[in-house]
Amino acid sequence: MYNIWITTWYTVREALARKVFLFFLILSAIAIVITAVVVNVLSDAALISGIDPEQSSLIYEEIASSIQLIIITPLATLCILLAIFSSASFVPNMLEKGNIDLLLSKPISRPQLLTGKFLGGLLVVLLNLGFLIIGVWFVIAVRFGTFNFTFLSIILSITFTFAVLYALMVLFGVITQGSVPGMMIAYFIFLILSPLLYSGKNQFDKLITSDFLKAVIDFFYYLLPKTTELMGGITMDLALGKGIADWQPVLTSLGFMIAVFGYAVYIFGKKDF
Amino acid sequence: MNAVETKDLTKIYSSAFGKKKIQALVDFNLDVEEGLIFGLLGPNGAGKTTLIKLLLGITFPTAGSAKILEEKISNYKVKKKIGYLPENHKYPPYLKGGEVLQYFGKLTGVTGAELERKTDELLALVKLSQWKKTKVKNYSKGMMQRLGLAQALINDPELIFLDEPTDGVDPIGRKEIRDILLELKSRKKTIFLNSHLLSEVELITDRVGILNKGKLLREGTVRELTEKKEEYKLVIGDNVSGNDLFNNNSFAKISDGSYSVKVADINELNKIIDALRSRSILIKEILPMKSTLEEMFISLINESEKTNV
Repeated sequence: MYNIWITTWYTVREALARKVFLFFLILSAIAIVITAVVVNVLSDAALISGIDPEQSSLIYEEIASSIQLIIITPLATLCILLAIFSSASFVPNMLEKGNIDLLLSKPISRPQLLTGKFLGGLLVVLLNLGFLIIGVWFVIAVRFGTFNFTFLSIILSITFTFAVLYALMVLFGVITQGSVPGMMIAYFIFLILSPLLYSGKNQFDKLITSDFLKAVIDFFYYLLPKTTELMGGITMDLALGKGIADWQPVLTSLGFMIAVFGYAVYIFGKKDF
Repeated sequence: MNAVETKDLTKIYSSAFGKKKIQALVDFNLDVEEGLIFGLLGPNGAGKTTLIKLLLGITFPTAGSAKILEEKISNYKVKKKIGYLPENHKYPPYLKGGEVLQYFGKLTGVTGAELERKTDELLALVKLSQWKKTKVKNYSKGMMQRLGLAQALINDPELIFLDEPTDGVDPIGRKEIRDILLELKSRKKTIFLNSHLLSEVELITDRVGILNKGKLLREGTVRELTEKKEEYKLVIGDNVSGNDLFNNNSFAKISDGSYSVKVADINELNKIIDALRSRSILIKEILPMKSTLEEMFISLINESEKTNV
């Protein structure tokens, strides 16, 4: 465990040495300050005009959560996009000649090494998202006097979305020893494939007449991670304190992540350097 | 006890579709005793680095087996007692000199005050104390090499693998590295050295192995390897010119008063000594003829190339 922690910690240091994560931290800090200024100039009367005063505390809670989501959703998406860009080279850098030789000459097993790298990437994103989300949540919660702690669970749902994509980047990093293929596949799934499959499965289902095409869409829908649902409906429901209504996207994405990361560990364990 | 043992160790690299196969190491058998400095010599591509990589689990063998410090090479925990300086090593560029030692120290299980102490001690040993807080991306090649040596020693290893340790280091730095290695040897550490610099290997190693095309051609002490079998240097007195004994084909004049003589065995040498003495020729010195390690290396490699052709 200690070896995993050391690798994790030095991956965080590697990330901090890159300007992208610092840039995002600064961006988050600016977003938190702007949020604090904006919510403090909002008038209570305007916000709850025409609403039964007895229900005002509930309304405040919903308003607070909505404002939090409006601010956090685009920033969290940006965080994932930047994190994919910045973390794609963690594994390829580790595998560079001269570096991997040294690491493998130490008393650390290959699965421990890769797990440390994986957890390091996640920890960086968790810290970035944590700073942004807790910051925004806190200033809004103070303003409205409503501390909805369940809102903070979106830190985990968004980090989990990144974890699923990062597992894929780790696998491609191990196979190709380059950062570009993993980064491209992660962007492709996050921005194109997952939204397409989600729409094909849930929104345009009735428009598709071919059974074969339906089966193909179903196959890929269940096989691949569901980042659209994870970042969309599930994060939204968690933010509003509704809990997770449908666990299927979470469980199938978790299965995908475990399978992909397990395969990456297997390949890494057999590879000659 | 042997620090390194290999049995029919073989490594064959295959190309992407398995069409082309390269034999990097073939049925390699070697025992390196504990407490020695062992030098592995060979031209580029001979398989020297592959051997170290196999022993450290960086690459996996195609066939055969190996042990380091009496443990199978598949047991990664044995690496706690091992230090390694790879050729062309690379450190995270965002780390400072001291942090590099701390990073690799922690990975080998050295922690806390012990790690702090070892870091300062080793940086002083390799003369990098004043560079402790400088990022390694600003280090020169020689400095990187010295930092690499310090890194390899951070866990006070029993067995140290050094792949071209003096590469890029100036002559004074080389001498300092040699002194460090000899000091380590005096502390009963085993050092496995890969080097192209034959003169350096000759100076510090106890035993030498010569490798070409994945095969171990010869192994022994430097003296054993450089000694010319049944060839002696005779230093004799004056006034021997015209003596028919020296018209013999087995004699060759090599310098004033010195001859080399080739004999079939030690009895023949004694007969020659008797003949010289019977002619009242003064024998000042009889020495076995030796070649330099470089001469021996080149002749052995050329011979091996011819055999393979």
